[in-house]
Amino acid sequence: MSSAGKSLPHDSAVGHVTGRALYLDDERPMLGELHVGFVGSPIAAGTLEAIDATEALALPGVVGCWTAADVPGHNLFGLISVDEPFLPAERVDYVGQPVAVIAAETPEALAAARRLVRVDCTEMPPVLDLDTAIREARFLTPQRRIARGDAGRELAKAPQRLSGVFRSGGQEQFYLESQAAIAYPGEEGRMVVHSSTQNTTEIQGVVAEMLGRGQHEVVAICKRMGGAFGGKETQASLPALMAALVAHHTGRPARVIYNKDDDMCVTGKRHEYVTRWDVGFEDDGRLLAIRFEFFSNGGAFTDLSPPVLDRTLLHADNCYYLPHVELLGRVCYTNVPPNTAFRGFGGPQAMAAMENVLESIAQHLDVDALDIRQRNLYGVGERNVTPYGQVVERNHLPEIFTQLAESCDYRRRREEIAAANAASRLTVRGLAITGVKFGISFTATFLNQGNALVNVYMDGTVQVSTGGTEMGQGLNTKIQQLVAEELGVDPRRVRLMPTSTEKNNNTSPTAASASTDINGAAAVKACREIKERLAAFAAGELAKQTGESGLQPRDVCFADDAVFSTHRPEHKIDFGGLCMAARRSRVDLGARGFFATPGIGFDQAAGQGTPFFYYTQGAAAVEVQVDRFTGELTVPRADLLIDIGRPINLGIDRGQVIGGFIQGLGWATAECLLYGERGELLSHSPTTYKIPAATDVPPVFNVALFDNDDNVQNIRRSKAVGEPPLMLGIAAWAAVKDALAQVDSAASRSFTLPATGEEILRCLSLAPQTAPQPSAAMPDG
Amino acid sequence: MRDSIVVFINGQRHEVRGPAALLTLSDYLRRQCGLVGTKIVCSEGDCGACTVLVGRPTADGQSLDYQPIDSCIRFMFQLDGTHVVSVEGIAEPGSLNAVQQAMVDCHGSQCGFCTPGFVMTMTGMLQNGGVGDEAAWKHGLTGNLCRCTGYTQILEAGAEAARQSSLTLNERYPAAELLAAISALAGDDVAIAGELADGEHAVTAPATLAAALEFLGEHPDATVAAGATDIGVRVNKTGVLPYRLLDVNRIAELDFVSVDDGVLHCGARASWAAIEEATTEIAPEFHRILNRFGGPQIRAAGTIAGNIANGSPIADSLPFLFVMQAEVETTSAAGTRTIPIDQFYLGYKQLALEPGELITGVQIPLPTAADQLRLYKISRRRDLDISTFTAGIRLRVDAGEITLARVALGGVGPTVVRASAAEAVLVGAPLEEATFRAAGDAAAREVAPISDVRGAAEYRRQLVRNIFVKYFLETAASATAGAL
Repeated sequence: MSSAGKSLPHDSAVGHVTGRALYLDDERPMLGELHVGFVGSPIAAGTLEAIDATEALALPGVVGCWTAADVPGHNLFGLISVDEPFLPAERVDYVGQPVAVIAAETPEALAAARRLVRVDCTEMPPVLDLDTAIREARFLTPQRRIARGDAGRELAKAPQRLSGVFRSGGQEQFYLESQAAIAYPGEEGRMVVHSSTQNTTEIQGVVAEMLGRGQHEVVAICKRMGGAFGGKETQASLPALMAALVAHHTGRPARVIYNKDDDMCVTGKRHEYVTRWDVGFEDDGRLLAIRFEFFSNGGAFTDLSPPVLDRTLLHADNCYYLPHVELLGRVCYTNVPPNTAFRGFGGPQAMAAMENVLESIAQHLDVDALDIRQRNLYGVGERNVTPYGQVVERNHLPEIFTQLAESCDYRRRREEIAAANAASRLTVRGLAITGVKFGISFTATFLNQGNALVNVYMDGTVQVSTGGTEMGQGLNTKIQQLVAEELGVDPRRVRLMPTSTEKNNNTSPTAASASTDINGAAAVKACREIKERLAAFAAGELAKQTGESGLQPRDVCFADDAVFSTHRPEHKIDFGGLCMAARRSRVDLGARGFFATPGIGFDQAAGQGTPFFYYTQGAAAVEVQVDRFTGELTVPRADLLIDIGRPINLGIDRGQVIGGFIQGLGWATAECLLYGERGELLSHSPTTYKIPAATDVPPVFNVALFDNDDNVQNIRRSKAVGEPPLMLGIAAWAAVKDALAQVDSAASRSFTLPATGEEILRCLSLAPQTAPQPSAAMPDG
Repeated sequence: MRDSIVVFINGQRHEVRGPAALLTLSDYLRRQCGLVGTKIVCSEGDCGACTVLVGRPTADGQSLDYQPIDSCIRFMFQLDGTHVVSVEGIAEPGSLNAVQQAMVDCHGSQCGFCTPGFVMTMTGMLQNGGVGDEAAWKHGLTGNLCRCTGYTQILEAGAEAARQSSLTLNERYPAAELLAAISALAGDDVAIAGELADGEHAVTAPATLAAALEFLGEHPDATVAAGATDIGVRVNKTGVLPYRLLDVNRIAELDFVSVDDGVLHCGARASWAAIEEATTEIAPEFHRILNRFGGPQIRAAGTIAGNIANGSPIADSLPFLFVMQAEVETTSAAGTRTIPIDQFYLGYKQLALEPGELITGVQIPLPTAADQLRLYKISRRRDLDISTFTAGIRLRVDAGEITLARVALGGVGPTVVRASAAEAVLVGAPLEEATFRAAGDAAAREVAPISDVRGAAEYRRQLVRNIFVKYFLETAASATAGAL
């Protein structure tokens, strides 16, 4: 019996479909529990003069209002740079930035009270857009650089050269469960915080610091999240701090549940980027030298922007070999909430910029973009060293591109599309294949560690706890399968427990796609320790029962919910019975496993090293159709081919591939963050912020896995799948650029991401035929 | 006069009065009943996580018809005489219905937060039959957003569930008992009073139009609630419920859709779902737009009078009503009058309604074979999105010459407008591309769009300019004419 490799349902699937899976706001309130919310800054930049809660506190049911002065311990936080206040005392940096925390007996009283708190500020001129930040050199971090060869020299002497500025927009994570936390005050100032977080250790740490207590006085727990996508890696902290502050001051349980509008207005998102590019290439499109200068919109505080930018630099090559290269990056300060992690973590912005360059080269040379891409793919055994010095091993990109081009009938469809475009005055179609090579591991090497606690009970059932959190990605189910397989038991005997700092300490965030790799490997190591003890005990028991002499622990096999000797497999001891007997013989049935990803390391200052354990690779072929008169976009067909090794759970991994791709499609073609003149977010709910709906799924949608068994270094030869498929969505954007180029090169040149109807129509209007008057000037693309 | 409403929830009778009757259904389910399977995300009817099924007696009175609605923007006082089924109530305890089982088996859930809403909509779709191919499933699920799955495995679960048999809700909750209890409620007038933090609120829900008009005559300031899909959003976002509401949900005489002599007659509280169904054959172009009007949950709740009275310049129904010269029927104690739709709007959200007047019906002349009609809805997302720009163009052509032109444009001014300059260009002009180019230019000059979250002014103006030639190519000329 092998449970890994099977498409078991998600371990909470029955709870999901019956409504019995509880999220934080579904927990029954305890006696005296308070509803907690915040009051936000009315301005994007300035200083706080006064916060007056008198009227709010006079409302029936309002219990208290707390500000910076009421924070007992630390009030300044940040993983990379300690620059973000929990509650600012003087300076405010974005509209909606929490400046006061309010608690009330009912949600209605809380809502009314929030409206009655007066916040007086002195306004200062805010920095509201990336261009201003660049012009005024408002940077949050020093410049990052990765380089090889002499890009400047090679650019100057290249036979062909193009340059431009590429823009990509931000993206809201749009997890369905908003930020949430409940704090339960304990004895003697101790605190238990339940949080919808990807990072229990972070919650434990910030709550302890804020309260001025040791980490041992705080327990942070996350059972499940209703989605996260990176948005709850650092930004679950503020609501958890609010809940803990109120619980600390009142001694009562305190619940914070952001509503959707507040959540979207005050939490960070995927970084908007402006990228300057300059490329030199041969007449056949082969790249000679390239320079990228990335500017990301970090928002008001550092948050995770530096590692996001690092990943941008590390993925600027995407799938392509860059002989001479210089990659520069800066994080810009603007007065919006601090931007943060979002699936892909800087990778999408880099890859889109690179694919834009290749698409531009193809259009400039009038050569099919697929040919340009295939000529530049990383090679096997040659042309296989990244700008940062890591060798691209076990590279399947050339096969993936070839296989996908054939399976999606690329060449024939190209001709068909050209003919259709020549014949239709109403619509124009485009087609593109883009690739993904996503490095797996945290670029901060120290985070590549995980621990797991495995408790085997006397009846042979098992509880497993790891530092990994469940946000829908199926981590728990995959670890359940790995543990069941390792112990040779039915997966129904294995239960994954809520993530708690009490059981797993000093954990890394559930991020970087690597959580099954790291936490699964740790759990398997714990199982092996238990098995070792059980095997020794079972060898004795089996020998006693069968009279088999010389039976060694290594002869004991764990399978089919039983143990048996490999010599006499017909004689079994039931796994539960064995555990009961082992316990009576004082054998330890619990273990803690620890895993640290081997062989990785990255010198950030030098921009060189082997930051990644391996790469997940894939490619997508997307066809689009554009209405020439309205700019409306439809995606009639998408074909994906991705190498995720040997899946631990095909059903779950397929869901990650499809869900990631559609999320990427949303970023690349539709989702649009719009701000008002004062820096307030205008698109702050699904009415105004449009994620893909069911009818946006391409009617023809083929998802295939590249058959691959060579990822030997990772757990069960699997590959990480969480983030990479998102970047396959870039193919849709590239296909629109292709369609625009078929109308006119002027229409395609300045095209930015996302490809909204408005952006497409703007570009179409630049084409001579349909542009009676030019629209507002935009920078070059 | 009853001071409570009676609603059945998962088969159990609830008599609800006072402040509880002023709660949204989702709050009542979650906070009063502990039925937390119903999730809240957006509180504005734009994600479907809170979807429940509401059963009402069918026309033949033999069973209940269950429709999906967004419970976050439905008030308890609107639900007298209905049977609400939440995710906790769709299957026998301890078992899963076919949709639930298929969602488990097909990996239809990831984070699970949207899942109860999807399960409810899908269960409703199977109840009501007619779920064919994947496109039908997609269309039926446009009111539910999922951020994790990319929908494919949910659609696969739908197809799988359709192959299995499952207890229908009319079997799970035998209709006879419910119908008897519901019909006993139909004759009473209902008046709800409840004290909220901001004072006393009153809702009157009469059973007859006469009683409603009498009430409105006495209280011309009352807010009229039918589907309340807009009021619900306002209440959720501002926290302020109107002090006096007239709920028309119980007035049977306002709920009809009929066709008489080429005219579509709609009662004021005819739902968009009912009109969508009625127009499939007789006004396919309108039907095509209604298909994209909100999502199924909104169409099941929202009414034609609500859309008209809300007065939005981007209301999806209005371009059609404008170009077909529909008339709004209004009634007060003083009598009934009709107002041509293009005279109904006096300014942004300003209506030509007199105090004490209630919209009681709408008459829409249907297009004939002589009409070349196209309707346009441009939005950021194809489905479940508020329009950036809408247009209706209706022409009659005789011997290559345009003899009649009605053009209505939405999203380019404070109200939907007739593009009279463009109409003037069109009438009497030859049916050729140059005519439509000129009409587009004329229309672009006569509108005054603004920039907002749905699009910039210049984008809207470009759409105005382009839509005429698009119309020409789609209707009059071959769309594959060759040279650009």
